[in-house]
Amino acid sequence: MSRAIVIGAGLGGLASAIRLARQGLDTTLISQGLGGLQLSQGTIDILGYDPEPVTDPLAAAGRLAPPHPYAVIGSAPVAAGVDWLSQLLGPELLVGQTSANTWLPTAVGALRPTALVQPSMVAGAVQAEAAWAIVGLSRLKDFSAALVAGNLNRTELPGGGRLRCRPLVIDLMARAGEADSSGLVFARALDRPEVQDRLIAALGPELAEGESVGLPAVLGLEDLTVYDRLAQALGRPVFEIPLPPPSVPGLRLNQALLALAKAAGVRFVNGAAVVGFEAAADRVTAVMTAAAGHPRSYPGEVFVYAPGGFESGALAMDSYYQVKETVFDLPLHGLDDVEQLITGDYAAPQAIFAVGLGVDAAMRPVDLSGNVVYENLHAVGSILAGAIPWHEKSGEGIALGSAWAATQAIQEELK
Amino acid sequence: MRRMTADVVVIGGGSTGSGIVRDCAMRGFSAILVERGDLAHGTSARYHGLLHSGGRYVVSDPESAHECAEENDIIQRIHADAVEATGGFFISLQGDDLDYADRWVEGAITAHLPFQEISVAELFRREPRINRRAVRVMEVKDASVDGWQMTWGAVRSAQQYGAQILTYTQVTGFEVDQGQLKAVQCLDRKTGEDLVIDTPFAINASGPWAGQISALAGCQPVEVVPGRGVMVAMAHRLVNSACNRLIKPGDGDLVVPAHTVCIIGTTDVKVDDPDDLAMPRNEVQQMLDAGEVLVPGFRQSRAMRAWAGARPLVKDSRVASSDTRHMSRGMSILDHQSRDGISGVLTISGGKLTTYRLMAKNIVDVMCEQLNDPRPCRTDSEAVPGSESGRTYSVTHRLAEREADRLRDPIICECELMSRQMFIDLLADIAEPSLDDLRRQLRLGMGPCQGGFCSLRAAGLTCQIGHFSPDRATAALRLFLKNRWIGLWPVLYGDQLRQAALDNWIMAGTLNVERLPQSEEEVL
Ligand SMILES: Cc1cc2nc3c(=O)[nH]c(=O)nc-3n(C[C@H](O)[C@H](O)[C@H](O)COP(=O)(O)OP(=O)(O)OC[C@H]3O[C@@H](n4cnc5c(N)ncnc54)[C@H](O)[C@@H]3O)c2cc1C
Ligand SMILES: Cc1cc2nc3c(=O)[nH]c(=O)nc-3n(C[C@H](O)[C@H](O)[C@H](O)COP(=O)(O)OP(=O)(O)OC[C@H]3O[C@@H](n4cnc5c(N)ncnc54)[C@H](O)[C@@H]3O)c2cc1C
Repeated sequence: MSRAIVIGAGLGGLASAIRLARQGLDTTLISQGLGGLQLSQGTIDILGYDPEPVTDPLAAAGRLAPPHPYAVIGSAPVAAGVDWLSQLLGPELLVGQTSANTWLPTAVGALRPTALVQPSMVAGAVQAEAAWAIVGLSRLKDFSAALVAGNLNRTELPGGGRLRCRPLVIDLMARAGEADSSGLVFARALDRPEVQDRLIAALGPELAEGESVGLPAVLGLEDLTVYDRLAQALGRPVFEIPLPPPSVPGLRLNQALLALAKAAGVRFVNGAAVVGFEAAADRVTAVMTAAAGHPRSYPGEVFVYAPGGFESGALAMDSYYQVKETVFDLPLHGLDDVEQLITGDYAAPQAIFAVGLGVDAAMRPVDLSGNVVYENLHAVGSILAGAIPWHEKSGEGIALGSAWAATQAIQEELK
Repeated sequence: MRRMTADVVVIGGGSTGSGIVRDCAMRGFSAILVERGDLAHGTSARYHGLLHSGGRYVVSDPESAHECAEENDIIQRIHADAVEATGGFFISLQGDDLDYADRWVEGAITAHLPFQEISVAELFRREPRINRRAVRVMEVKDASVDGWQMTWGAVRSAQQYGAQILTYTQVTGFEVDQGQLKAVQCLDRKTGEDLVIDTPFAINASGPWAGQISALAGCQPVEVVPGRGVMVAMAHRLVNSACNRLIKPGDGDLVVPAHTVCIIGTTDVKVDDPDDLAMPRNEVQQMLDAGEVLVPGFRQSRAMRAWAGARPLVKDSRVASSDTRHMSRGMSILDHQSRDGISGVLTISGGKLTTYRLMAKNIVDVMCEQLNDPRPCRTDSEAVPGSESGRTYSVTHRLAEREADRLRDPIICECELMSRQMFIDLLADIAEPSLDDLRRQLRLGMGPCQGGFCSLRAAGLTCQIGHFSPDRATAALRLFLKNRWIGLWPVLYGDQLRQAALDNWIMAGTLNVERLPQSEEEVL
C-alpha cells in the first residue's frame, strides 16, 4: 500500500507525484491515459493575458482576484513550482524566467506569450527587423510556411516594429514512400544524423544572408541538441515552432518527467480509470479503478486529484446540461448562471470552461460555503475553477502552482 | 454596372431553382441562375436528408405520396451519386394507435406505394438498436439524399446545356415596363458590382424568401409562413435505414442516416424571419427525447451538430396559421400575370427536396405555355454528371479511395477522409470560395472534431499553393470556426463538449488563433 495516491498523469499529477516521492512518501500514480502534456505546446505558461498582454507573468498572476485559482494559490507557490520544475529539468529542456514573458511564433503565425521555453525555441523570440526563413516540410500537413510567414509579417510586434519572414518549403522524406508523415514520425527520423544531414543539405543552399531559420517543432524527440547541430551546420540561429498534437516538445517534457518520476520511486498504474472511492467520515480511504475487467481498490493516506478538466472527461455535462465532477462527485464552482454557461457568441469565452473545483490554500476541494469536503483530498491542475487557461495561457502555471501548494501542505500534514 | 441577357432568369439556388435552371437549359432556353449565397445553403442545406418514399403522406395526402414514390425512383436513377439507397421502415410501437397502421396500409395501396410488411424479428436483425417495443413494421423505399451533391449535380448538368450560374449574386429589383418584365437587377456580393440581366422571364424559386422577392417585383403580398424545424445529427449511424414512427406525422418521429451520422427531426414552429432561425434548448431537448423513443440510449450517444430550416409554405386558408405542418405540402405556383398584372414572372414555393425535379417540370411547363412555345421536359431521362454509372452512393466509398491513394495524397480531414488533392481541385474550380463553400461539397470539417484539426490544414493549404493571401486564409479560417460554432453550441454536452475543450486547447492554447491580426479582406 502507498501512503500517497496521485490520480492523473498530466503536468499537475507528474509534478505532485515526483515531489511526494522525493519527500520520502511511498507514492502511486494512477492514470487512465497519457496526460495533456503531449498535447501542449511544450513551454511553461504562467499568464499571457489578463486579458491584455502581460509582460511580467508572475506579477500579473499575483494581481488576479478570486475565483481565479491564482488568487487562492498565491504567486509564491506559483514561482516556487515553476522554478522547481525548471531546475528539475535543467537548461537542456527549459530556459527563461518567471518574471518576463517571451513572445514566440505559433504554427498559424500568431505571436504567443510564454514564460519558460525549450532551448530549441529561444531563437524564435521575436525581435523587430529580424529576418526569418520559415521552413515548411512538404510531407507535413500541420505546418503551412506560407501562412505562418505571411501572418507574422502582418503582425505588429509587442514592442513595436515587424519581422521580415519568408516562406520556404523543403521536401524531406521521413519514412520511405510516405507523402503524409506526422510530426512524431519526422521527430523520430530527425533523431538520426543521416536525416539531419539530408535536411541540412536541402536547406543550406536556400537560405539568404542574415536569416534565422524557423522550423516546425520536429527536431528530434530523444536528442535535444538537433536544433543546435543544424544551427552550427547552417551557420545561423535555428528555432522550432510548436505544432498541434501530437506535440514533440510536449512529448519531450512528458518523457523527461516520467523518467524522473520512475527514478524517484513513483509506482505507476497505467490504463486504469479511477471510477469510485471509499470514504470514512471526512477522509478518503481508497480509490477504485476499473482496468481491463479487474476492479481494484487503492487505499492511501493522502490523495492528489489531478485529472484535467472537460478535455479529459473528469468534468462532464450530460444531455440535460447537468455538470458533474465524475469521480468524487465534488461540489462544482462557477455554475451560478446555468443559462449562460454556453452561448452562441463564438468569440466570447464560454463560462462552462471555468467551471471546476474550488479549493482552500492546501488545494483541498471546498463546498460553496468554503468548507473542506475531505481532509486528505487535494485537487491540482485544470480541474480547478475560475480560469480558462487556453485563452489566458496559464495552464502550466496553474498546474505547477497548485501541485506545489498541495504537496507542501501534505508534507506539513504528514510530518 | 454589368449587363447580361437571357431567355429566363431563375432566382434562388436551392434544389428547386437548380432543378428549374437545368430544365430550362435542357429545353434549349438560355438561362441564368442567381443565388445570393452558395448553392444549397438555404433550406436545401437545412433539411432532414430524406428522399421520401411517400410513406409519410399516404394517409394525409395520397397525391403527394404517389408523386414522392415516382420521383424517388427517378432521383435514385438520375442522381445516383447523391443517394444512398438505405431503405426505410415505418414502425408501430406498443401503445401507438394501431388503427393508424391499418389506414396507412390502405393508403399505401391506393397511392401505389411499393411497401411490404415485415416481422419485428427481421426489423431487429437489420436495426438492432430500435426500440424493442416495436409491434408492426412496414418496409419502404425511403433513402438518404445529400442535398448539396444533388443540387450541384443538377447545376453541373445545366451548365453542360449552356446555363450560367451566378452565386453570391443577390436579386435587388425588377424592371417592369407596362406590365411586362424587362430585366432583373442584381448585386454581385463579392465585387460589389451591379448587374442587370435583360430578360423577358423570371422564375422566383427563393423558398422561404419567395415573399420578399415577389414584393421586389411589386406584386401583391405573397404570404410565406416559415415553419422552423430543428434537427440534431448524432455522430454515429445509430440506424442504417430511415426509421419512421408509424403514427400521424408529428415532431421528431424520424431518424435518417446520412453519411457517417444520423439525424433526428424535426420540430415545427411558426417564425417570422427565415434569416433568423434560433435553435431553442427546449426544441433540442424535444428531439433528444424523441430519439430516445425510437432508439433507446440515444441520449448517451454523441450529439454532433444541430441546424434549423424553414419550411417554405405558402399560406393556405384551409388550416389555422399556427399549424404549419398541416398546410398543403404540395407546391404552389403563382402566376403574377393573372394575379398582379405583371407578365413574365412566376413564383414557385413549397414542395419537398424529393420532388424538386417535378416542381421544376411543372413550372417550366407553365412558362412554355405562357410563351406559347411548347418544348418537352427531359430531365427524368438523363443522369447528371457524376451519376452516369447509375451506382448509388455507399458510405464506405471514401475509405476505398483513400486506401488506394493514401501513400501519394495526404489526408487533410481524417474524420471525413478528404484528401489534399480533392481540396485543391475544388479550390481551383470556385471563385473566391469560403471554407464553408468547400465544406458543403467535400465534407471538410463535418466529422466529430468539427474542424478542430482540418480547418487549420485547409487554411494553410489555400495559402501554401498561393490561392489565398495569408490575410484571406486567416479570415476564411476565422469565419469557418465561427460558422461551425453555430451548429455546435446548441448540442454541446457529453463527448462533444469534451471535443470542444480539446479543440480550444489547440486553436486558442497552442496556436493563439484568436490573437492573429484582423484581416483586411472579408470572406463571404
Ligand atoms: C426542417 C425541414 C426538414 C425537411 N426535410 C425534408 C426531407 O427530409 N426530405 C425532403 O424531400 N424535403 C425536406 N424538406 C423540404 C425541403 O428542404 C425544401 O422543400 C427544399 O429544400 C426547398 O428548396 P428551395 O430551393 O425551394 O428553397 P431553398 O433551398 O431555401 O432555396 C432558396 C434560395 O433562394 C436564395 N435567395 C433568397 N433571396 C434571394 C435573393 N434576393 N437573391 C438571390 N437568391 C436569393 C436563398 O439564398 C436560397 O438559397 C424539409 C424542410 C425543412 C424546413
Ligand atoms: C442531410 C444533412 C446531413 C448533414 N450531415 C452533417 C454531418 O455529417 N456533419 C456536420 O457537421 N454537419 C452536417 N450537416 C449540417 C451542416 O454542416 C450545416 O450545419 C447545415 O447544413 C446548415 O447549413 P450551412 O452549410 O449553410 O452552414 P452553416 O454553417 O449553418 O451556416 C453558414 C452560413 O449561413 C448563415 N446562416 C446561418 N443560419 C442561416 C439560416 N437559417 N438561413 C440562412 N443563412 C443562415 C450563417 O450566418 C453563415 O454565413 C448536415 C446537414 C444535412 C441537411
